[in-house]
Amino acid sequence: MKSATVPTVFIIDDDRGMRQSIQDLVESVGLRAESFATGGEFLKRKPTNDPSCLVLDVRLPQMSGLDFQRQLAETGMRIPIIFVTAHGDVPMSVRALKSGAVEFLTKPFRDQDLLDAIQQALERDRAERDRQAEAHDLRERYGTLTAREQQVMTLVVSGMLNKQIASEIGASEATVKIHRGNVMRKMQAGSVVDLVRTSDKLKLSPHK
Amino acid sequence: MAAEDVQKTLEELSRDLQESKARLEEAQRIAQVGHYYWNLIENRVIWSDELYRIYGLSPQKGPIDMAICREMIHPEDRAFVFRNAEEALHSEARPDIEHRVVRPDGKVRTVHALGSVKRDASGRPYEMFGTVQDITDRKRAEDVLQRTQFYLREGERIAHIGSWAFNESGHYWSDELYKIYGLDPQNGAPTVEQYLNLIHPEDRASMAETIKLMQEQHCGHDRIERIVRPDGQLRFVRAVAVPVVEHGVFKGFIGTTMDVTEQELLTQKLRREQAYLEEAQRLTHTGSWAANFVTRQNFYVSDETVRMHGFVLSEGPVSFEHFHDTVHPEDRAAVKAALESATRAGTDYDIEYRICRADDGQIRFFRSLGHHNPSGEIGDYVGTTMDITEQKRAEEERERLRQLESDLAHINRVNMLGELATALAHEVKQPIAASITSANACLRWLDRHPPDLKRARAAAARIEQDGNRAADVIDRLRSFYKKGSPPKREIVDVNEMVREMSALFKTEAVRQSVTIHSAVDADTPKILVDRVQLQQVFMNLMLNAIEAMSDTGGELTITARPNSQDHIIVSISDTGVGLPQESSEQIFDAFHTTKPEGTGMGLAITRSIVESHGGRVWATANQGAGATFHFILPIEDEARA
Repeated sequence: MKSATVPTVFIIDDDRGMRQSIQDLVESVGLRAESFATGGEFLKRKPTNDPSCLVLDVRLPQMSGLDFQRQLAETGMRIPIIFVTAHGDVPMSVRALKSGAVEFLTKPFRDQDLLDAIQQALERDRAERDRQAEAHDLRERYGTLTAREQQVMTLVVSGMLNKQIASEIGASEATVKIHRGNVMRKMQAGSVVDLVRTSDKLKLSPHK
Repeated sequence: MAAEDVQKTLEELSRDLQESKARLEEAQRIAQVGHYYWNLIENRVIWSDELYRIYGLSPQKGPIDMAICREMIHPEDRAFVFRNAEEALHSEARPDIEHRVVRPDGKVRTVHALGSVKRDASGRPYEMFGTVQDITDRKRAEDVLQRTQFYLREGERIAHIGSWAFNESGHYWSDELYKIYGLDPQNGAPTVEQYLNLIHPEDRASMAETIKLMQEQHCGHDRIERIVRPDGQLRFVRAVAVPVVEHGVFKGFIGTTMDVTEQELLTQKLRREQAYLEEAQRLTHTGSWAANFVTRQNFYVSDETVRMHGFVLSEGPVSFEHFHDTVHPEDRAAVKAALESATRAGTDYDIEYRICRADDGQIRFFRSLGHHNPSGEIGDYVGTTMDITEQKRAEEERERLRQLESDLAHINRVNMLGELATALAHEVKQPIAASITSANACLRWLDRHPPDLKRARAAAARIEQDGNRAADVIDRLRSFYKKGSPPKREIVDVNEMVREMSALFKTEAVRQSVTIHSAVDADTPKILVDRVQLQQVFMNLMLNAIEAMSDTGGELTITARPNSQDHIIVSISDTGVGLPQESSEQIFDAFHTTKPEGTGMGLAITRSIVESHGGRVWATANQGAGATFHFILPIEDEARA
């Protein structure tokens, strides 16, 4: 849970006045903001590692905002989206929200509504990024285990006793104990329960 | 005694001689035969009394003067007569001639003279005795007969008619008959077998049967058959045979045969053409006829005419009255009047009416064209009658489509307004939303501690920009509209437009149980307006009126009349829900609507159009139910003309 970095709000709207005013509003509450006239311009920018979200106009010249949302999902780029539109209807907003949009706002919107949505989107992104960082950490630690230790970890998580593990891998019970101690230390697990949770996050299956 | 006896015998003989002579005279007179006696030795000629009479002379005693005799022979025959007499004297030939004599009164008679020459032992002629018979009458009869036969022959030749007779004395064929059958008269009349061989194979059996009946039952016939001449030519002949019966006894047959090839071919051609015509009539549902409307008689009615009216051909001719009875009762008076007036004036006519078919009662639309036959009697008409039901239906269908089209045009206009509103909304919303957001941002910059005036000013500047941008959009739209359709002014008859619009809304009104009345003043002058825009005004006000009565039904009344010297006033009144409580002026504002589906633009547009024409529109509540919308429009001087 470490995020001292300043989150960024990206804005895509083909109407210059609109995107300038949104950018200004966002900056007035102390957030960073960057605006683009098209989705293409946005994609050319280097991806950020900081929490971010996207304020996206539905009606764009080349590709509609909804299509752009799908394109982002297909390329694996995960960023919370807030839709704004001058003439939205119910089916359109349903489609957007089902595809994971945070909010669907109709222009002109109340400034607080947009800022709340941005706040919520950034929270969501932050949580997602933390989850991904943790998983990354665990994978790195798991990588430090020897093949034998990984095997022992899998068997421990499956609920076997040391004696059973020893007969399973064809080693002495004492050797199993040493491997088990190494696993607990390297994986920074305080208990077998901790280890099971870690294993869940890594999505390890008992029999690889 | 002997002398007495002799005397007596002589007397008796003399009496007998006298009697014989008298009888001979009598016989000669009756037979018109005279005789002469020519003594060649003494060259004396004695004539009998009858011969004198034949020559037109009085009988006299003693010899006749040869010179007189010679004189009386017809000049053209004279040489011939004496040459003949001369020859008779010098040869063995017996004189036998016919010649003419000219009587003293100038009459010409024809005589037959026979003679015999007597010779002595040495062969020298000494006497000629002869008879002379007046054959003028017989000759005349012969001439007549000859002429008659000539005429008959010529007649047969010209008419292609041959004749024949068959009786106990034989089988006679006229020359023309041989010609018709292509036979040589030299070979004589053909036998029954030969004759049958001339008949076309397809007709031969029936002809053989006919001949058999003639022979057995002595009955005649009248038939047309085909023959094949020896040269291979096919001809049509009409053969007529009649039995001859004298005093109840059968004597044989006489008959004629006429070559009717040309007539037959013509008849066949006519029959074919008739069939084509019938077929054409059947295909086009067009019947033809000829009739007299005064005597109410049909002269001719084509098969299709009969069928079209639902009558059955096989049931025989259909009377004039029966045709007339099929006319639809509602159209009967009109048809009667049209025919009567055409008959009176002797003119052609062209009418449409309905009939109820005689067989199934089906109603059909007919168009009848009658042409007065100028050479005929009063009321003589020939004409055609067409079944135009399908065309009528197609016309109705077209009319329905036209109605639908204009309905669609109306819907399109409404839809276009919707499109326009959406486009306008988006274009205007964008800068307005931007300026609102900028205003929010501006406030937030000001709320900061300390306030960020620089950023606040920038936000305020953007508010101004976007506000102007919104105004520009609307200006652009208005200028586009003006450019797109410059005002078109044309002279419009408001009364005519009221009728048009009433017709246009008829269907819609009926659906909503609304009755449309229009009371237009015939004096309403024409005005100079944009026709389409004025239609829009009527459309908006009439639709409003109908919608106001959609739950209850009611009456929609349109009046148009001159209001003053310069204006006309049109009022559209309904018996519906009436005006809302608020000021009746407000209902003309844009987006003001009391209807859940309304755009609130109808009355605003109406006002805009009326005012752009220099007019005014307002609404008043009715005494009873409903409201009345009025508008006035100026009368331009150009439209007065």
